[in-house]
Order: sequence, then structure tokens, then C-alpha cells
Amino acid sequence: MTTAVGNLSIAIQRRFGRQRLRKIILGSIPFAVMIAIWHANTVFDWLPPVFIPPIGDVWEAIFFLQEDCAGFVALVMLDNSCLITTHVFSSVGRVILAAIVGLPLGIAFGILCGMSRTLSKFLEPVGVFANSISGIAWIPLAIVWFGVGWVTTLFIMLNTIFWLMFFNSMLGVRSVAKVYEESVLTMGGSRWDVIKQVYLPGAMPSIITGMRMSMGFGWRALIAAEMIGGDSGLGFMIFTSAAEFKIEEVFLGVIFISIIFMATDKYLLAPLEKWTVERWGLVWRPT
Amino acid sequence: MNSMTPKLVVEGLTHYYPDEYTGESVHALEDINLELYEGELVSVVGPSGCGKSTLLNILAGLLPYKIGTASVDGNVIHGPGPDRGVVFQEHAILPWRTVAKNIGHGLEIRKVPQAEREKRVQEFIDLVGLTGFEEKFPHELSGGMKQRCQVARTLCADPVVMLMDEPFAAVDAQTRITLQEELNRIAMATHKTILFITHSVEEAAFLADRCLVFSARPGRLKEIVEIGIPREQRNWTAMNDNAIFIAARDRILASVREEVSIAVEE
Repeated sequence: MTTAVGNLSIAIQRRFGRQRLRKIILGSIPFAVMIAIWHANTVFDWLPPVFIPPIGDVWEAIFFLQEDCAGFVALVMLDNSCLITTHVFSSVGRVILAAIVGLPLGIAFGILCGMSRTLSKFLEPVGVFANSISGIAWIPLAIVWFGVGWVTTLFIMLNTIFWLMFFNSMLGVRSVAKVYEESVLTMGGSRWDVIKQVYLPGAMPSIITGMRMSMGFGWRALIAAEMIGGDSGLGFMIFTSAAEFKIEEVFLGVIFISIIFMATDKYLLAPLEKWTVERWGLVWRPT
Repeated sequence: MNSMTPKLVVEGLTHYYPDEYTGESVHALEDINLELYEGELVSVVGPSGCGKSTLLNILAGLLPYKIGTASVDGNVIHGPGPDRGVVFQEHAILPWRTVAKNIGHGLEIRKVPQAEREKRVQEFIDLVGLTGFEEKFPHELSGGMKQRCQVARTLCADPVVMLMDEPFAAVDAQTRITLQEELNRIAMATHKTILFITHSVEEAAFLADRCLVFSARPGRLKEIVEIGIPREQRNWTAMNDNAIFIAARDRILASVREEVSIAVEE
């Protein structure tokens, strides 16, 4: 019996790798504890369901919200009948749009300012000014300018993403050893070659940190913006559900928000980091 | 091509630069004249601060100069260019490129077709003994291998003159001896024109056909020591008993020490 368990344990360790298994198990413990306490609350009736709904209610809320969904076309067209997918897709869509516009712009300006002292003297103070005002502080003004809707939420997100990306890329470029630039120049490389082959990859550790930060802060800013200045999205859903005391929908929204963010980090940003800076030996990794 | 036409010519080169901290004008080089002929390896030694690195940076085109002229194959030097290849002291190969991509970088910049590039890259990987390491990234190489990779990168781009700035200063003593013998072999195989800056008198005497001794600041060309030993005979076992080598080394050493004491007194 003991050997059978031992063999099984060895087989599992081989399959997943000892370190990875350790990481998965250790990382899951806090969540397991949280879920246990949550469930215990329902069983022992500590706080009423108005404050903390049963886990089952939150699960059922998905189907309830999606109940009227009139088929695939409605789902894709973000029809109001498919509530949960519409909110998820519109939040995710805004994140993607803001990332497509904001990240490259931030990186480009950051690299330029990292290269040119004059340009950075010109733009850096504006950046410090913009960074001192948190993204959500722009919401009232943005509503006045753009009204309630996707332009406002996009504006709030871009404001957050752009400046974080800008500062990180700029610092990244400044940290690149001068000799790399000199070696490309002495091989007959142009300024553009230096940007592509030295600054961009050399600043990659900072750029990835910047992406992580800006996607994290951007996502949070978006949720806040949707609550006040949006007409759809997970933030909007949470806010309106709370007003109607549909507490299980609020929980559902919060869970969706964190799952989507964790997935972005794990399946997009972490692999990017592995494929670039880790492969190039630019980060120190504890073994 | 006429072998009596020098590949690299420096005439009346004088250089001042502002001190980084005080802003005072520092007189780095005074009236430098030199000529490098095809296939020659010329080393430059001198006390620290004698301007030998300044000279290399000017020749590399990384430092603008005003007084005097410097030219390669008759073209006056204005900024960096592929006619001069530089081997830096630090590890200058790009960490985000594999060994093969680093070595082929110069050809890639010049848009040499991939098939031809790969052929040439392999040739130089073999020449410097990095066969089997083509797809490794620099962080997977030892310090000595990184410098071999850098030498291969410079040679692969086929510059008229190769400028080397204390390339073996940062590696351990054992590796340095091996790298010096390998550079000698490579110089023999490729017949490259090389300017080799070093602070090591032994290294200068071991490698050079001619050794230029610079004076303490401002750097002047103080003395030229000819070392007429055929490349085939240059290896550390034989050189330690070679009378020409010993005489040249001692002469350079005496000359440099004189300058070091002047530099210290100042």
C-alpha cells in the first residue's frame, strides 16, 4: 500500500517536475483556504448570504446571466441578452485595444527619450506630472469630455498604460551598456540598426516589467472607469449588480477579473519573458 | 594591391578632451604619426592615461578629432565604419544573439545574402574554435570563448584594419596565454592588419611585429621597437628562450617604466 502511494507520488513528480509541482501546490494553498472559509461561512451561517453568497449561487449566476443568450451570433455581437459574455468581452476588448495602442507608443517614446537627453528633458516632467495623478482621477474629466462609454474607459486605460510603459522603456534603454551600441556602429550599423538590434532587446527586461505593471494597473483602472464612466464591462456589471443587491453577480465579476488577469500574465507575459530575457541570460533566476 | 601602401595612416594627430568632472581641457595625444602596412600587427603600450585608448576610439570613429588626420585605405576617418573592426575589452557581443548570429552581424548589417553569410560565419566559427557552440547564447560561454566570439565577429565582417582594445585584459591568466597564441595563429592565417592596444609589455612583445611605446600624458610616440620573429616561431614555450623576444621585451619594459615614473611624479 505504502509503496503503491510512493510509486504514484514518484510518477506524478516525474510527470510535472518536482519544482513545478511544489510551486503549484504551494501557490494553491491560500486559495484553497479562502474557498474553505467561504464555504464554511455558508455551512455555519456566520454572515448572511446578502453579504457573502454561497459558492453555488455564484456558479449559477453565470447561467442565469447567460440564460437569454440568443445563440452564437448574439454572443459574438455582444448582444445585451448574453450578459456575462458581453461584459467579459467588452472589458477584454478594451484591454486589447488599449494594449495595441498604448504599449507600442509607450515603448517607442520611451526608447527615443532613453536615447536623447534633450528629448527626455522635454518629456520627462510631463511624465512625472501625469504619473502623479492616478488613472482614475481622470474619470470625472473624461466623462465631461467623452461622455459615458468606451472612449472614456479607453482614455483612462491609455493614460495608465502609456506613461508606465514610457518610463520603464526609457530606464531600460539607459541601462544598456554603451559598448553594444558602439559595436553595432563600428560594424557599419545605422541609428535604426542600433534601435532594433541594441536598444529594443537590451531594454527588454525593463519593457517586460513595464508591460506587467501597465497591464496590471491598466486593468484596475479600466474596472474603475467602467464602474463610473462605462456602459458595459465587468466593472459596470459589478457596480450595477451591487446597486441591485445581486451580490453573487458582484462576486462573479470579481472572480472573472482576477482569472482574466492571471491568465494574461501566465500565458502571455510570462512566456514572453521566458522567450526573451531568460533565454538571453539577462535575468538572475533562483534555481 | 601594392603592399607598400600603408593601410592605416595617422598624421599629426593631437587631441584634447574636457575632463568629465572638472571640465578642464586634458591634453591626451600630441602629434601622433604612424603607418600600418598590410598584414602587420602593431601593438601600442604605455602607462595608463597615455591616450592609447583615446587613439583607438578616434580610429574607430567613436571619438571626433580636430587636429591632424587619420585615414584607412586613403579614406579620412569621419565616424565609425565597416572598414575598421573593433574588438573591445569588455564582452561586447550581444547577449540576445546566438554565437552564429553575433559573428554574422556585420554581414547582416551589410545585407550579405543568407547563404553566403552562413558559409562565412561557419568558416570563422571554425577558425576561432567555437565549432559546436553556434546556437549558444553568450551567457552560456566562458569569458575566453566570449572574446573568441568577438574576434570572429570582427574578422567575419572583413575590415581593412582590426583595432583591438586590450581584448584579453579581462580574462584569467591561463586563458590569456591561449588567446594570445590563437591570435598569433589567426593573424598568420588571415594576414589581417591589426592595431593592438595593451598595457601588458609581454603581450605586446609576444604578438607584435612592431611595438609603439607611448609617453606619459600627453601621449607621444616615444619609441618603436621592431620584433623580427616569424609568426611560426611564436608560442610561449619557444618565446621564453628566444633572445630577440627577451631583448625586445626588456627594452619595451625599460621604456614604459621610465614613463610610468614620470607619470607618478606628476
